[in-house]
Amino acid sequence: MEGKIKQAIAKCSADYTEVRIERERRSQVLYRKDKLENLETSSELGGIVRCLKDGGWGIAVFNDITQLQEKVQEATRVAKIAARHNAEPVALAEAPVVQEEVKAHLGHDFRNVSLEEKKRLIESYNRILLSSSNRIVSTNVRYTDSFREVTFANSEGTFIVQEIPDVTLLLVAVASDGPANIQQGFETFGEAGGFEVALDREEDAANAAKRAVDLLNARSVKGGKYTVILDPGLAGVFIHEAFGHFCEADFLFKNERLAKIMTIGTQFGKADLNVVDEGYIPGLRGNTPYDDEGVAREKTYLIKNGVLESLLHSRETANKMGATPTGNARAISYEHAPIVRMTNTYIEAGHHTLSKMLAKIDRGVYAVKAYGGQTMFEQFTFSAAYGYEIVDGKLGEMLKDVVLTGNLFETLRSIDMIGDDRTLYGGSGGCGKGGQFPLPVTDGSPHIRIQNVTIGGK
Amino acid sequence: MDALLKMLDGKVDQAELFHLCSRTTPIEFHSGKLESIKDKQIEGVALRVIDNGRLGFATTTDVNDLSGLIAAAIAAAAFGEEVSFTFPSKRESKPPQVYDASVANVSEEALIEIGEEAIARIRTADSQAEINVSIAKSVEKVAIENTSGLKLEEERTTVFVSIEVEKVREGDIFLLNDETQVRHLKDLKPGELVDRLEEQLRLGKTIVPAPSRKLPVVFTPNGAIALLLPLIVGFNGKSVYLGTSPLKGRIGDTVLDPRLSIADDGTFFKGPRNGAFDDEGTPTSSTALVTDGVLQGFLYDLRTAALAGAKPTGNGYKGGLFGGGGFRSLPGVGMSNVIVGEGATPQARIIAGIEEGLLVEAVLGLGQGNIASGEFSNNVAVAFKIEDGKIVGRVKNTMIAGNAYNLLKDHLIALSDSARWVHGTLNTPAIAVDAVSVVGQGN
Repeated sequence: MEGKIKQAIAKCSADYTEVRIERERRSQVLYRKDKLENLETSSELGGIVRCLKDGGWGIAVFNDITQLQEKVQEATRVAKIAARHNAEPVALAEAPVVQEEVKAHLGHDFRNVSLEEKKRLIESYNRILLSSSNRIVSTNVRYTDSFREVTFANSEGTFIVQEIPDVTLLLVAVASDGPANIQQGFETFGEAGGFEVALDREEDAANAAKRAVDLLNARSVKGGKYTVILDPGLAGVFIHEAFGHFCEADFLFKNERLAKIMTIGTQFGKADLNVVDEGYIPGLRGNTPYDDEGVAREKTYLIKNGVLESLLHSRETANKMGATPTGNARAISYEHAPIVRMTNTYIEAGHHTLSKMLAKIDRGVYAVKAYGGQTMFEQFTFSAAYGYEIVDGKLGEMLKDVVLTGNLFETLRSIDMIGDDRTLYGGSGGCGKGGQFPLPVTDGSPHIRIQNVTIGGK
Repeated sequence: MDALLKMLDGKVDQAELFHLCSRTTPIEFHSGKLESIKDKQIEGVALRVIDNGRLGFATTTDVNDLSGLIAAAIAAAAFGEEVSFTFPSKRESKPPQVYDASVANVSEEALIEIGEEAIARIRTADSQAEINVSIAKSVEKVAIENTSGLKLEEERTTVFVSIEVEKVREGDIFLLNDETQVRHLKDLKPGELVDRLEEQLRLGKTIVPAPSRKLPVVFTPNGAIALLLPLIVGFNGKSVYLGTSPLKGRIGDTVLDPRLSIADDGTFFKGPRNGAFDDEGTPTSSTALVTDGVLQGFLYDLRTAALAGAKPTGNGYKGGLFGGGGFRSLPGVGMSNVIVGEGATPQARIIAGIEEGLLVEAVLGLGQGNIASGEFSNNVAVAFKIEDGKIVGRVKNTMIAGNAYNLLKDHLIALSDSARWVHGTLNTPAIAVDAVSVVGQGN
């Protein structure tokens, strides 16, 4: 294959050509309620060619890799059409030529575990969820593993073969005490690791079920403005969704007004706020030793001491904005061209303990785990999986329907305490952007305290 | 692919092969400039086998390794779930028109022109706006073959246009978007998208404070998804079977206001998700869900229908409730075209009758809150304040919350007289309801 890829690139008349060929083997076990919904092993083989000709991008995606040569020509053909309509030719920032093979490090290699064994494990978790209370009416328990081998080559001489493992586990319990009251509790896990990621999760399953049942008797939060403490899970999702996406340079690089808001050196938070995107920490799902343009990983400070320090770049955005590529051009698969994405994103630990953060809050909300969230530029909404009221510095009653909303920049400025307990989560889902979902990422944070957060409710 | 079912002959009790060949040409404009042209040609196969009553599933895009596909599906079936359904045999159906040769043949240049024209028009209306446009044409050939003797094939075309407009000012970012999806090129009306976006840009120039109390809200067809999504989840035969739908056991009951009728119809005139059959080969049909407020039925795929003792409704789709398509996932209950019946009042007259309220065009955080119970809680993405029957400006940082079942049963003000296609699957009028909880931040 290596010879065929290099030959196809050598013959191409475009100014820049890259080829990515991917093989994947994956399996899934999915239980809903008492039924094994899916038991599957699937495989994938496909490729993508991206050509730059006269400053226009042309892309061809295909499964039949014997057609590589023709697809290189097709990508060049459409690149020429794009160039005719593009007033501002694309160019790429320089990147070192790399020739490397990156092997996966798996503990207990899931490729050597039988589908039957995977099924038995997931069935046992499902049984724990279902049997923990007669008010558990449904479950959603899903195990996935994927092993990808991605070959990347470009016309500058880079040739990289990477092995990318990914394992996830989702444990959801749904409890009900009547049609008007349906609640859920969940735990999620995801790592670039082996089968061990999914093992020994019995206690987590029991916790998910207990939380679903507890939420049946939780009180709906009353809408209004509160001092809020986010747990590391929810704070991680907040910093990824609300702020991290803003730092993705492909979102800004053609838009002067947005780029101006994100000028390097702008003060966004208090001096103890540090936000990082780090391309490799052993075992994390977001790991990207080399991105899908062949650029090596970085540890990038997005915010350092409260000040915007860097954006995340592809070679195209780095060239346009006069920056250096950061290794953040990622694609979920061969069906997509790389776009600027996060990897492992987190708020660095501060020095406050949770009890110190709680003290002196007369009336507040402790919001735990993200159930969902969406952002639109500086506006965001997140729903917490559950929460607790804070009364006179202490955690009180359990709360449900905790949906937080606000303005990103005001909220960053309103973070007044950062905890000392940073935790990272890979989760069982992934990040979505530009039609590419789910991309494995990790995010995390310590506990953070925010003043004046609007919480919706009746 | 004929050979594949033969290879399985005698090895398993039942088998079904789903074979998809698609060619899609997406064209992307970013900030008014053409960014890329892509030619995407995908071929994939999915195999479901049932052996000793147990289900196994596997997919591949490696069409040279069909024996690997068969081995994977059989291996899964050895430990798979016991199922009691049979793959369907041939039934007569009246296929809707889903193929348009002019879509297959339209050039990249012609599609680029559609984008350039839309961008030029919006620029004329507002020179400050940043505009992103996606245009794609696609031709999909779906073939389904099974051991019950079914052998179906359908070629479907789609043209899709989506326009996003961003307006960035000091301390304010205003984002609008609209999209359309049709099977026939002559039905594509990108100018209507531009008209609507221009109107919203105009209405959104002034920002006004939103109050915090219970108010009437007019959901435009696009915004109505906030109310309709919980219902759509509730109509899913799977949620009913799992006991998570509040509609369980209520067929024949009045569950919504008598002015409301909702159906799912895979053959609906010009429906963007029309097809002769679903992803399991069951003929599509029109399924009444609610008629004059009374619950009529639910949506089913083969497997859920067998579990629930119901009839498959032709709603077995791959890719989730919104039918993301592709070949990779197992089919499950999904919508085809969801049709909400129109009312009799023009949207403008509904607005004119409201003393104080909101007009909601788009929300953030769709699906947030406990939607199984009908609860929704969303930040408004695009919404306007109504005062004395007139739109006075745009509201920001405002939450709306309520229970869709409750609002649509006891608080319906009116349905508008003109439905339109939104979100690729939904045909709905504007829906006005009273007593929605609004929490505004004042600016």
